This record gives sequence, structure tokens and C-alpha cells, in this order.
Amino acid sequence: MPPHDDRKRRFELLALPHLDAAFNLARWLAGNATDAEDVVQDAYLRAYRYFDAWQGGNFRVWLLTIVRNSFLTWVKENRGARLVFHPDAPTGDTAETEHTAWGTAPRDPESLLLERIDSQTLARLMQRLPAEYREVLLLREVEDLSYKEIATVTDVPIGTVMSRLARARLALRRLWQREEHAEATHGV
Amino acid sequence: MACDRIRPLLPQLADRALGPLRRLTVTRHVAHCASCAAQLEELEAMRTALRTRLTFHRAPPGLAARIGAALPREAPPAASRPWLRMPALGFAGTGLAGALAGVALTLVVAGVKPAVDDPTSAAIDSHIRSLMADHLTDVQTSDQHTVKPFLSARLPVSPAVPELAAQGFPLVGGRLDYVDGHPAAAVVYRHAKHVINLFAWASPGAPDAPFSATQRQGFNVVSWRREGVAYTAVSDVEADQLATFARDVAR
Repeated sequence: MPPHDDRKRRFELLALPHLDAAFNLARWLAGNATDAEDVVQDAYLRAYRYFDAWQGGNFRVWLLTIVRNSFLTWVKENRGARLVFHPDAPTGDTAETEHTAWGTAPRDPESLLLERIDSQTLARLMQRLPAEYREVLLLREVEDLSYKEIATVTDVPIGTVMSRLARARLALRRLWQREEHAEATHGV
Repeated sequence: MACDRIRPLLPQLADRALGPLRRLTVTRHVAHCASCAAQLEELEAMRTALRTRLTFHRAPPGLAARIGAALPREAPPAASRPWLRMPALGFAGTGLAGALAGVALTLVVAGVKPAVDDPTSAAIDSHIRSLMADHLTDVQTSDQHTVKPFLSARLPVSPAVPELAAQGFPLVGGRLDYVDGHPAAAVVYRHAKHVINLFAWASPGAPDAPFSATQRQGFNVVSWRREGVAYTAVSDVEADQLATFARDVAR
């Protein structure tokens, strides 16, 4: 087998099993299937080009890093200079409020609301989160990556991963509470 | 310990990211602190909601083929270059990209690794094939009393097929496989959205061997040997989870 074909075969063996993971991340970031396909295809071509640079760590982490970079390139080319990931400047959510904003009363009736959320509502609320919050929640809860692995994929320090994750959870919780509140007021 | 010192650790507890000592400190506190317990419960509820109810978008059917067809057109890289630089990419659009130009992902070119012929690599290859070929199971059932006889009747090995749904590892089914020259049983479990292949093949006369964990090609692998049967579990679940799985199987 010529070395080129062998390289391709090795790449496919490693990369194709993670295609669903790559597509899911791209789909949640881009917001629709057509764009996600473009992003994933670009990411795979890019990964193939840089395959020899992979050092034998967790291949899925390496691949998702490239998917994310492909998404950022795609955004730049297709959505102009619109800001997608905004920096982690505190937006009123200081470390103090992060920890106190959660339910504190014993068996706070609101504390278990998230247990009842349905898939459709959850998806809609996720789509309303800033991309960087959506991304960190996906990498943590769906891809089951460690803080360190998320730091690798998103190219930020572990401390930033942890504070971003805290803010993301708080933001999702607020959206959900608002949703519940609106339903209660409008009797929907 | 006071709540204000415990609170910041609750997300790490929910994320299974605390070491054993701190985990003990935090769980002890939570056991008799209603407000910290409520917060932890809420974190767990969100974790469960995202893990079980967030839509997982699988790749559309034609995508793998399209990517495969596009690959050969990409020229192989110049192998002689010692360093490759990925393009630097910022968090923002073009406006802020310049400010972040220093953030470049530098990657070292590793030599082309030769294919390793050992049971671990063979098990990983088999795991990958099972996911790619859409041939995960020969017998698809969550009933251990169906899977075990199916495998035992067709193989020179009678593998352990414990019921582990309560521990978070529901049984999916069984498959006949071939690992490193051995006819092998592949018992398939799931953990959240991840597939775990538990391979078992006869290793008569070999002494029992303790758990040995390794990570390769993005997969975690745990191997052990007991009563003349060699076991290897392969998955992309977290190393800790796979170790727990292995202990539960061997129990």
C-alpha cells in the first residue's frame, strides 16, 4: 500500500469514529446543519493536513480543537466581523454573585425546576446563550471533557474554564427561571 | 468548614473534579448543610438535564463519504518541516484578531508511528471497526441471560456479562469478534452517549493480572486477566469512569 493511502487509512480509522462528536459541536455552534457540515468538512481536511503534528494525546480533544478553529474561521468569512465569542469580562456576574445566586433555601421549590425541562425548551435556551457558554457546557456535559481538556480545546487557562462554566450554568438557570416565570404570568 | 469555603467547590464536586480528600470534606459538609445540599442538587439537576435531554445532532449519513472523497485531493504535508504552525485564531471577529495574533497553537511533528501489534491496539482497532461498520452487536438485548449463552455457545470462552444498568452502564448486546489472533467475545455497554466494548478471550493457563489502564488514540483502555480469561475494555468515556466500569465487571 503506498504510504499516502496508508496515511489516509490511519487518519480515517482515528477521525471518523469522532464524526458525530465533531458534527454535534459544529451544529450547536453554527446553529444549523448546512453550515455545520461545511465547518466539519473543513475541520477534517485541516486535521488531515496537520495529522503528522498530532502527538498521540487524546485524538477527540485534538479534533474538537480543530473543529472549533474551523468554526471561528468560518464565522470570520461568513458573518463578517460580528463578535461571536465575547471576552470573559464580568458582566455583573462577579465571583460573589456566582455563588450566592443559586438557590439557598432548603428544598427551594425553584431548585428542582430544571429537572422538568423538556428537550425542546432546553435546546431553545441553549441557542440563546452566548456561543462561549454553549460551547463550554457542551464540552463538559455532552463530550464529558475534563477542565484541562476543555482548556486545551478553547485555548484558555483552566481557571477561565471553571469561571466560564460557572457563568454559563448561571446564565442557563436564569433563562430557565425567566421562562418559567413568563409561563406562570401568561398562563401559557 | 464554613459554607463560603465549600460553595466554590460544589461545581467541582458535581463535575467529579475533586481529589479524594477534598471530595470527602465537601460531601461531609453537604450531608448536614441544607443550603449547600440544595445548591448541589440544583447543579446535579442541570447536569442531568444537559446529559439526558439536550439534543445530540448526529452527522448526516453522507458526510463521512464526502469527507473521505475530499481527503485525497489534499496534498500530504512536507514531512521534512520540523514545526508546523496552525493559524492563529482569536475569539472575536476580524476587528480583534490582531490583538490575539500571539495566540498560536504550535504543534510538534511527531514521527509517523508504526502500527503497534499488541492486544491493546488490536482491541482499539476492533472497537473502532465496531463503531464504523455499523456492526456493534450480533445480539442486541439488555438481557444478560441472552447475551452470555449466545457468546458462550460460539466461542471458546464464557465471559462475564454482568448487569450494570444500575451503575450507569446499561448492557446493549454482544458480538463475536477477533482480537489479536483470538476469537473474542465483545460485550457492548453504554455510558451516557458513549459505547464501551468489553472484549474477552481465552488465555488458558495464564496467571490472573490486575487492572492496567492506558490511553491511546483518544480512547481509554483497561485490561485485566482472571481465571484464564483476558479482558480489555475500550471506550472514549473518562478514564475514571472506565476504571469504575472495569471494577464493576470484575466484582
